[in-house]
Amino acid sequence: MALSYSEALFLYCFKKIKDERTIYSLFHLFQGKKSSQTIQDAHLYNLTPFFQAFPFLTRQELESKVISLQNKGLLIQKAPEHFILSDKGERELSLFVTRRPMPPRYLDGWKYHHLTSLFWQRLSLLVQVASNLVHQKRQFIPVQNKQETLDWVKDYIRRQNLSREELGHGIFKELSHCLIQCEGEPAVLVRRLTGHDRIGLTSIQAADELEMEHVHYRLEFLNIVHFILHKAVETPGCFPLLDGIIRDIEKPVPFTLSTEKTYQLIKKGYTPGQIAQVRNLKLSTIEDHIVEIALHLKDFDLEAYVPKSKQERILQAAQNTSAKKLKQIRDQVADANYFEIRLVMAKNGDKS
Amino acid sequence: MNLEQALNRYFQFPSFKPGQKETIQSILAGRHAIAMLPTGTGKSLCYQLPGYMLDGPVLIVSPLLSLMQDQVEQLKGRGEKRVVALNSFLTPIEKRNALSSLQNYKFIFISPEMLGTRLVINKLKSLRISLIAIDEAHCISQWGYDFRPDYLKLGEVRQVLGNPATLALTATATEEVRKDIARLLKLDSWDEHVLSVDRPEISMSVEILGQQEKLQRAFELVSNLQGPGIIYFSSRKMAEHVAAFLRDKGEQAMAYHGGLDQESRILIQQQFLNGQFNVVCATSAFGMGINKGDIRYVIHYHLSLQLESYLQEIGRAGRDGNKSLAVLLYAPGDEQLSYQLAEAELPESAQVGRLFALIREKCFEPDDVEENAEFLSASCGFSETQWRIVANFLKSLRQEPAERLKEQIERFAEKRLLIKKSQIENMVRYILHDGCKREYIHYHFGEKHCFEVTNCCSFCGLDFVNFRKHLASPELPIQYDWKKELASMLLAQAGDFNE
Ligand SMILES: [Zn+2]
Repeated sequence: MALSYSEALFLYCFKKIKDERTIYSLFHLFQGKKSSQTIQDAHLYNLTPFFQAFPFLTRQELESKVISLQNKGLLIQKAPEHFILSDKGERELSLFVTRRPMPPRYLDGWKYHHLTSLFWQRLSLLVQVASNLVHQKRQFIPVQNKQETLDWVKDYIRRQNLSREELGHGIFKELSHCLIQCEGEPAVLVRRLTGHDRIGLTSIQAADELEMEHVHYRLEFLNIVHFILHKAVETPGCFPLLDGIIRDIEKPVPFTLSTEKTYQLIKKGYTPGQIAQVRNLKLSTIEDHIVEIALHLKDFDLEAYVPKSKQERILQAAQNTSAKKLKQIRDQVADANYFEIRLVMAKNGDKS
Repeated sequence: MNLEQALNRYFQFPSFKPGQKETIQSILAGRHAIAMLPTGTGKSLCYQLPGYMLDGPVLIVSPLLSLMQDQVEQLKGRGEKRVVALNSFLTPIEKRNALSSLQNYKFIFISPEMLGTRLVINKLKSLRISLIAIDEAHCISQWGYDFRPDYLKLGEVRQVLGNPATLALTATATEEVRKDIARLLKLDSWDEHVLSVDRPEISMSVEILGQQEKLQRAFELVSNLQGPGIIYFSSRKMAEHVAAFLRDKGEQAMAYHGGLDQESRILIQQQFLNGQFNVVCATSAFGMGINKGDIRYVIHYHLSLQLESYLQEIGRAGRDGNKSLAVLLYAPGDEQLSYQLAEAELPESAQVGRLFALIREKCFEPDDVEENAEFLSASCGFSETQWRIVANFLKSLRQEPAERLKEQIERFAEKRLLIKKSQIENMVRYILHDGCKREYIHYHFGEKHCFEVTNCCSFCGLDFVNFRKHLASPELPIQYDWKKELASMLLAQAGDFNE
């Protein structure tokens, strides 16, 4: 029996990481975890296109997928959490990739992950607003409800200085131009868009409508979005309206937008707890941001989070354990929590 | 300028809906009022119009952020710029800015927890508030559905602010709850404007059947009844399951619940409003703030936790005034699920024990407790609803010894559970009531009048023929042409896209 798309995808990734990494390294890759380990692995094993491809994937979903691949004799367990493809798995996969490119041609999660969801939020709202303007409908409920996105669209439209018809026509021209050039199925994106008299589909509805597995649909969707981003970034002159959607975030920002906000608050002297409260996020999320900041900013001072002496003990422990496993470090530095260890490791990743 | 002229001038409406004018007259005469007006009858107008006619700002207390946001947007959409919302979504900076310019606003929305800080109260005191409107006022009574302890301080807040005219708004409150509202808000005298909760255009059916027959019966109803319709569930999983089952059978059904991401929730709600599918399988998260006039039936696959919420939910049918149907499917034993749900909303004694052990263990001071709320809540496995209750008690950690607080929380949970159980029992009594269902509701809400309704209820006699599907949905599967679709969205003349 031929492989389903998701089976092929997971086999493809396991083939890349071999039995050198655990299934959870794939989990972190799909989640788009900003840790040095995940980022290095993505590059080392040529899996950067899939970075942050499935941010909503759960551990359980991944685990049950692996079990089903094992049951079908496609995957063999080498050690706990480590797998390799069976001969059958190899055969089926190479058959599959002759029919369908893996990864999809334009998928580039590592390059565009920080733009992807913001671009979609803005584009979908912009199309809805433009459509309602063109058809002179004044009352509608926006499909995106974040205040900053709403404000952004208002401002964007004002800046274009175009009539309603020109705006609608311009977006139509640029979008259809992109969609024709891209090898993906344009309906994957267009079905999701909301206009003046038709509400767009959710991703699950669109996948069902196109009779695609959700995993497959998601990658095709990202493929098209990344293609549009590629066009807008590389040839902004040809796609001024699309480029305008991301121009303000295009410049290489070291942090994700959310981390950037956390960083701004840190600079104002807020504690992690306060930031979590202010931003209505989990403390663990804020801690991830701080690790990401330490990873990118060479001169970021950890003193406020981990006392100097503890930093040194953590580093010492890290040198004693070859694998740099957090748990092993933790066993040696009992008074350090995982956040502190990760932070120190992020900061000193290259030295030890 | 008389009231009709004012209504026309500020809102461009030709006339008042029932109950509005009387309520507004009470307020303009400087009297307190309790108004019970069913949802969809324009409760917010009752404070908005007086807002324009009185000097000084109106303070609106609203318990749900989403409802608050809806109303703020509605006002802004009409061109009113002097609107502000004070709630926990504001950053410290936004909050400071809003507070320092509070005198510039006409309509100040506030969530009850914000009324707990002295800074806010002092600022409000300096403003000469002309009217306090309390939305969802039944939340103040532990007998009302959705009791919120936060509301209990409103009586004191009113007095501190100099006893301004107060309007308590609710869609459903029994006589007992209305008395509670007046007592707890410390109103000395007040006018009451109560519209019947009864909606004669909705026929009410209760069907008692076996657990195994429910799914089939739901399908039968959906395939025979004129839509659009809503089916309510108490579990997300069942909502998903039944929606998928109905889709398999060729019905246009979608699931809606709190587990969906934000974008999907908006899209599905809007698709339903826009008539893009026929039946929504939803949890109680669906329907707040939606106004769709032509909903023809509401089916309950599980019973609601109180008669009040049941009436709110079936009340979403027939807003256009046309005949509609409510069907409650009950399998004996269904109430067990309701008991479990009610229990799950309250903090468990073991969790509370763990919480205080953890506070002791970590030597947390009251400030630490506040700062580490997320950690504490997660470590003890509290849900959002549970934590809201607990957090409210923890606020008095400065004044009360921990041991006492622990007891208080446990006692509170026990008491709430008893009340919730009695509300579920009442729901079951309604289901089993061997008489007119409408009469039972009148009795529950202390209403006297009873009028003849054709197709009244499953006891009085009810002919489903009246609700039969008459509009066949043709929906030929047409080839999807993405370019044509995109053109029809963005071009004024969809024809000219092939240039
Ligand atoms: Zn009856």
